[in-house]
Amino acid sequence: MSGIVDSNIVYSYIPVAVFLVVSLLMPPMTMLIAKLLSPRSTGAERYSTYESGSIPTGPARIQFSVEYYLYAIAFVLFDIEVLFLYPWAMIYRGNTGVDTTVAVVEMLIFIFVLLFGYAFLWKKGALRWLKN
Amino acid sequence: MLEVPANIYPWLKGIVGLVLIGALFGFGMFAIWVERKLSADIQERHGPNRVGPRGIFQLVADAIKLFTKEEIIPAKVDRILYISAPIVILLSVFLMLVAIPVGAVYVNGTEYVLAATQMDISILYIEAVSAIAIIGTFVLGYGQNNKYAMMGTFRNFAQMVGYEIPLGLTIVSVAIMSGTLDVVGIVHAQDRIWYAFLQPIGFIVFFIAMMIDMGRLPFDQNEGEEELQAGVFTEYSSMRFGLGFFAEYFHLILGSFLIALLFLGGWNVPGFVTDNTVLGVILPTVVLVTKATLVMAFIIMMRWAVPRYRIDQVVDLSWKKLLPFSLLNLGWAIALGLYLGV
Repeated sequence: MSGIVDSNIVYSYIPVAVFLVVSLLMPPMTMLIAKLLSPRSTGAERYSTYESGSIPTGPARIQFSVEYYLYAIAFVLFDIEVLFLYPWAMIYRGNTGVDTTVAVVEMLIFIFVLLFGYAFLWKKGALRWLKN
Repeated sequence: MLEVPANIYPWLKGIVGLVLIGALFGFGMFAIWVERKLSADIQERHGPNRVGPRGIFQLVADAIKLFTKEEIIPAKVDRILYISAPIVILLSVFLMLVAIPVGAVYVNGTEYVLAATQMDISILYIEAVSAIAIIGTFVLGYGQNNKYAMMGTFRNFAQMVGYEIPLGLTIVSVAIMSGTLDVVGIVHAQDRIWYAFLQPIGFIVFFIAMMIDMGRLPFDQNEGEEELQAGVFTEYSSMRFGLGFFAEYFHLILGSFLIALLFLGGWNVPGFVTDNTVLGVILPTVVLVTKATLVMAFIIMMRWAVPRYRIDQVVDLSWKKLLPFSLLNLGWAIALGLYLGV
């Protein structure tokens, strides 16, 4: 294996492939054993949806107010911020040809802007569990 | 490096890694026994005490029971989603297992890490694959067509949008201090002092975020035994329930190992280096497993010491306490890294 991809990196992911296959095979095999060992019975009642013993009313997939949609939107922004920090954390210090002071100041500005957004969200009441 | 062995070696490593899974499986059984015994002790009960000495084989009996129970798939479920959901969750746990070292062996001064593979970005990888579990939880909730399961799933989402950010930020802080994204490198960076002491705030934030991630009490929002029956597992029975249960316990174990590796020095004992061959082979692994077991025992005891949080309290905790503190910790890590050169 040669080319632009370092073969050692590729090799380190081969066990991932092995585990992937095993994790896909394990549940069906386990269920097969369980199927062979377990008894079987019939009856219409047992296949009904569980709702604390009473007859289910209406479908489960109903629309209801999701109280946390504002968090969820903020989450997308902040999660990307965290992702952005990973490569920065690796190169800002050490022999990578990056000026440490400049890198740190840039990152502090970036975090500050996000902190400002965070304070704004808090002030606006977005970080509050909505009660209708 | 010869070409042929180089090609075969990683495959072999993957298969050896499966042996580690077997060992961890035993540890998982042990974890369930510890949980039941510890809970019983706290509540002044006996706990399991019939099967084997002090009930240690209770889990074997339970496994046999799960295998011999009839599986009932309710008529209204979406069968494809219903069957694939536990697989997705197990997949996430198995993929996390690949990169987490469970110990190390020193032979003639060379260190061999007991992990299926070693990557240069293993902590990033672990975080990425652990996020697959949330897809499994959604499939779980949607596929069952059950109200309790649906509510459990939505609570899990609400929780997830909170804890993921502090979790990620504390991991970045650790990466900043150690200068690497490799778990093994992070362990070596703690040779002199554990990160639990260098970043106490980060340690506490990571611990709490990890507990929310594992769905452990007092943050068991996706199951919520008191109000949601079995939460996301309501319609599951027989061994298919067992698979979900198994994945959950593996999550607990992996979380304990991660806490021990990232903040408690992994297999290091500060200031202790041995040339003794026997000790070098045994000691590091024993140290790591002991640390992970202690962390796990602490998490289990939290279950009986702290009252449950309501879902909006969990979200508030994540956004209004964990997030600011994790940012503070990030600043602290940058400052410490720059001025002390740690």
